[in-house]
Amino acid sequence: MAPKLCVLCETAKAMLRRPKTGQQICRDCFFYVFETEVHNTIVEAKLFKSGDSVAIGASGGKDSTVLAYVMKTLNERYKYGLELFLLSIDEGITGYRDDSLETVKRNQQQYDMPLKILSYDELYGWTMDAIVAQVGRKNNCTFCGVFRRQALDRGAAMLGVDHIVTGHNADDIAETILMNIMRGDIARLGRCTAICTQGEDTIKRSKPFKYAYEKEIVMYAYFKKLDYFSTECIYSPDAYRGHARAFLKDLEAARPSAIIDIIHSGEAFEVKEEVKATQHVQQTCQRCGYMSSNPLCKACTLLEGLERGSAESGLTERARKKLEAEGPTPENIRTIPFFNKTPSGNPGLSIAVEIPA
Amino acid sequence: MSSCGNPNAEADALMTRRPKYDRSKACVKCKSKTGNIVIRHAVYCKDCFFPLISLRFRRTLEPHVNPTLDLHRRKGLKASGNLLIGFSGGLGSTVLLDLVQKTYLAPRERQDGDQNPNGGCPWPKVVVAHIDTSSVLTEVQGESCRIRGVVESYGAVFEYLPLRLEDAFDQKWWRSVGGPDFVHPTGLDIINEDMFLKLLSSNRTSPSSALNAYIASLPTQTAVASGIQALVRVLLLYTAVSTHASHLLLGTSLTSLSISLISSISQGGGYSIKEEAQEEWSDNNEDGTDRTVRLVRPLREVGTKECTLWAWWNDLTVIGKHRYSGGRQDISALTRDFIVGLEKDYPSTVSAIARTCNKLTTKESTNTKCLFCERPVQSGIQEWKHKISIRSYRDLGPDIMSPPHMNLEGGSSGDSRPTHTGPVASNLCYACHTTWTSRSIRGNAASQNDIPIPVWVASRSDHHNDLRNGRKVEENDLQYLIKDFLLDSGS
Ligand SMILES: [Zn+2]
Ligand SMILES: [Zn+2]
Ligand SMILES: [Zn+2]
Ligand SMILES: [Zn+2]
Repeated sequence: MAPKLCVLCETAKAMLRRPKTGQQICRDCFFYVFETEVHNTIVEAKLFKSGDSVAIGASGGKDSTVLAYVMKTLNERYKYGLELFLLSIDEGITGYRDDSLETVKRNQQQYDMPLKILSYDELYGWTMDAIVAQVGRKNNCTFCGVFRRQALDRGAAMLGVDHIVTGHNADDIAETILMNIMRGDIARLGRCTAICTQGEDTIKRSKPFKYAYEKEIVMYAYFKKLDYFSTECIYSPDAYRGHARAFLKDLEAARPSAIIDIIHSGEAFEVKEEVKATQHVQQTCQRCGYMSSNPLCKACTLLEGLERGSAESGLTERARKKLEAEGPTPENIRTIPFFNKTPSGNPGLSIAVEIPA
Repeated sequence: MSSCGNPNAEADALMTRRPKYDRSKACVKCKSKTGNIVIRHAVYCKDCFFPLISLRFRRTLEPHVNPTLDLHRRKGLKASGNLLIGFSGGLGSTVLLDLVQKTYLAPRERQDGDQNPNGGCPWPKVVVAHIDTSSVLTEVQGESCRIRGVVESYGAVFEYLPLRLEDAFDQKWWRSVGGPDFVHPTGLDIINEDMFLKLLSSNRTSPSSALNAYIASLPTQTAVASGIQALVRVLLLYTAVSTHASHLLLGTSLTSLSISLISSISQGGGYSIKEEAQEEWSDNNEDGTDRTVRLVRPLREVGTKECTLWAWWNDLTVIGKHRYSGGRQDISALTRDFIVGLEKDYPSTVSAIARTCNKLTTKESTNTKCLFCERPVQSGIQEWKHKISIRSYRDLGPDIMSPPHMNLEGGSSGDSRPTHTGPVASNLCYACHTTWTSRSIRGNAASQNDIPIPVWVASRSDHHNDLRNGRKVEENDLQYLIKDFLLDSGS
């Protein structure tokens, strides 16, 4: 049988079946469509303007390694005019993060980008290992997720950048849409399909890989021989999310477009106005100054629970009431340093006055 | 994300397991009798169960019986037309039929706190339609007469109306529901993702072989399941119009609704999330005499478990649920297994899904109706698809650099046909377009160009203004009428 030709260029031999479309294409066409789709995502959402400083949330894993490589490639190819940084969070997970940070340090050399590492230990006084020792393996991802989000923002403020890009891929987003529907989290459902989010005074965050399939990211890293750390986090996700993830894999196996179809669904609907009106307004945390929908932000709530030996109090209403009944917050517990984002100008003004490129 | 693949993980903790029921085993309603059933953590006795379920049924349905809400408050319940009930013989529709009969057609059994003080039935006539799917599902062969038996066991209160799935391809049926005549044998071409309608030399095939050819050309198991579902729904809507029904009721339970919501979202149907629960559909008559049908699912607050008990305690005959299942290759079957399995450990999941989706709406409204499913079509779908997944270098935008490994100019390959969305693709909803174009690794690879199309699609391609460029043309000017959809017929 004659070798099958790539359906895109119709000249080279087809080397792979593209996970997203099922098309049989050649390797060069794969690189090209993968990169161009990310470029389309960036352009369509007007993510950057020339001169922006952008931190890439880098973990050493496949998503962020490929993201760093593709951001560098597109920045040069399409002359975005971005100044790129690597920003890593050290959660303090022995045998996992310490090794993956070595990969990030090599990436810093390979991609020639400045690197900043910020640890949970220096910010919160707790490593993930210490947290898991107290809370066990249930809910550990809750702590990790809340703490990482705030740590990234604080790291970005230290770097003086105005934008963080993260390696969230299409699979992550589709899974999050399903999760938010199943657990009735309307506030997050409204936000999770946005490519770019920005709080009142926090740093812009966006997801250039919003439409990139996890399988294609792996494939890209493999064919480009990128240096990444392939071990999964040793602390596995909670059972409920595990079910959602397995379901999504089944859907993808039945029809590969399912991942993109779920994201399309998520973009097609929005929360009804009358429901939005009942949602909490954004404020800043009394204790640490980070954006929050309550007087205390989620990270401070979780941290207080850890410090007072009642990790549950950050997770359920009932445990929280119980802790409150035990008395006011003691003076001597560790808290998160106050968040002083050096304002790059009046946030209201910086939107109105845009210096032409 | 990269580190633990776990974005927004902070809310995982909200989904904790709860005990099956709270506090005591006594009925929460009468507080005296021992409970027989646990519904969402609350215990009920058998005597309190019946009024609870009929109240939920009425609370869901009755605000939508009168054409507008304020009419309802002043005058009691009065619909503007007849009632059509879609009856499959499965659990939900069996309970629905029973509830309609007990609530509106046997007035002595009505309860206190009645929202319909005048009593009686809000609809002049109640028609029960069953769609025989035996030409694609061999399991249901011979069941039609058992189903007729169930309907007729209620006496003369219901008028029974049998339909067949292949009616969707039958001009005789189309005429019988008042559909405008069409004369041009037309087939669907899915070789190209834009999709085209083209003339066929003849359409002398029988409706059932047309149906089977249609089903066989759907590229995935998922598409077959949702294709059948869409045919059933549209058949019922046109039947409702032809029986002068103002309302079409379906026996979708809370459990089935949650399953169909997740399944629809997983197939790209997010834009019609409202319609999954309830919809207003009208037949868009050429002469401006639109007839509107309100499709309501009055059991959408009642779970499968409650339906089972209602049927059991009322000694109802459930013929069984015979729906198409493509197993592990079928998204709706996968979703059903997933939700039913999850409900065992996390009983609040099913109601959480329905509640969440009830808080959602679509971002923009539209006037375009999908050719196949007759639901609203969002604009810009094809452009979105081309940007998100590049399937051809013809679709590249003007500012995109051409592939570096190819010596081309201007970002287009040797085949420089301009990007152009065919009129079929642009008149399909995202979900239907995906149904026809999305393939699975194992799926049906054969692309076809002479697929029979349902009568409403054929009729609209003949008659509808937006498909014939808004100009009045001679009915028999065949070539002109559909030239926009035609590829070179010789191809
Ligand atoms: Zn190629
Ligand atoms: Zn705080
Ligand atoms: Zn009772
Ligand atoms: Zn449709």
